[in-house]
Amino acid sequence: MAAPADNRREAFEREALPLLDAVYRVALRLAGDEAQADDLVQETMLKAYRSWHQYKSGTNVRAWLLTILRHTFINEYRKKKRAGPTVDVGEIEGYHVFHEVQEADPEGNFFDQIVDDEVLRAIDSLPEEFRETLVLSDVEQLTYAEIAEVTGVPVGTVKSRLFRARQALQQKLYDYALEMGYIKRVER
Amino acid sequence: MNAPRKIDCQEAAERLYEYLDGELTPDSEAEVRAHLDDCAPCFKLLGFEDAYLSFLRARTRAHQAPEHLKKKIFEQVLFDQDSAS
Repeated sequence: MAAPADNRREAFEREALPLLDAVYRVALRLAGDEAQADDLVQETMLKAYRSWHQYKSGTNVRAWLLTILRHTFINEYRKKKRAGPTVDVGEIEGYHVFHEVQEADPEGNFFDQIVDDEVLRAIDSLPEEFRETLVLSDVEQLTYAEIAEVTGVPVGTVKSRLFRARQALQQKLYDYALEMGYIKRVER
Repeated sequence: MNAPRKIDCQEAAERLYEYLDGELTPDSEAEVRAHLDDCAPCFKLLGFEDAYLSFLRARTRAHQAPEHLKKKIFEQVLFDQDSAS
């Protein structure tokens, strides 16, 4: 018969390790650089392994891991670095970009010219609470309920943060596309 | 079955992301869908935001944990002596 430690390792390898890429992607957006993301992921996975007995098999292991990641980041990493918000997303006007481009580019073709790195840079410039909500939703495809669980806020707050984060990011990407000449500003 | 309650453009716009994310209740989703079927400008907005979200997904999922990190974590777990179980 296998010892309990072996069972634990087997279960952890089967259920948690396949999610390493997802944990890493979120860590990278939270921490902001690869070296710190590496440390953050290592610490997260070790904590998860050591507290594996607290995880109920068959429940949402992804949300559980991301919750540990987020706590680790807030408690141990956030103080070290990361500038404050570079935009005020408090006053986001809904669907402003669409209203600007609806005649010239209603299908949003200009987005296709923006490369990965530029999108990630724009995400990184969002204030933290908006950045993490957007990453959990649009990068990792968590449901609103899962995001609420990971970030410890009500679903209604997730909804409003996600709306504002998506709109703020869209505005940044639009401004960038204008600057690069991927799309022309409509004169009114 | 009753016809969905009529909603205006503002209500539809407020629920647009929830609609795209599949987060609405069936009744609420039917209301938004009925509005979109009847309202060309809102339908256009839906197409634009849908394209934007697809673009975000496509541009951000390429990153994978580096091999050296995978190896480190595997070893860390394999040789962890601080057993809690």
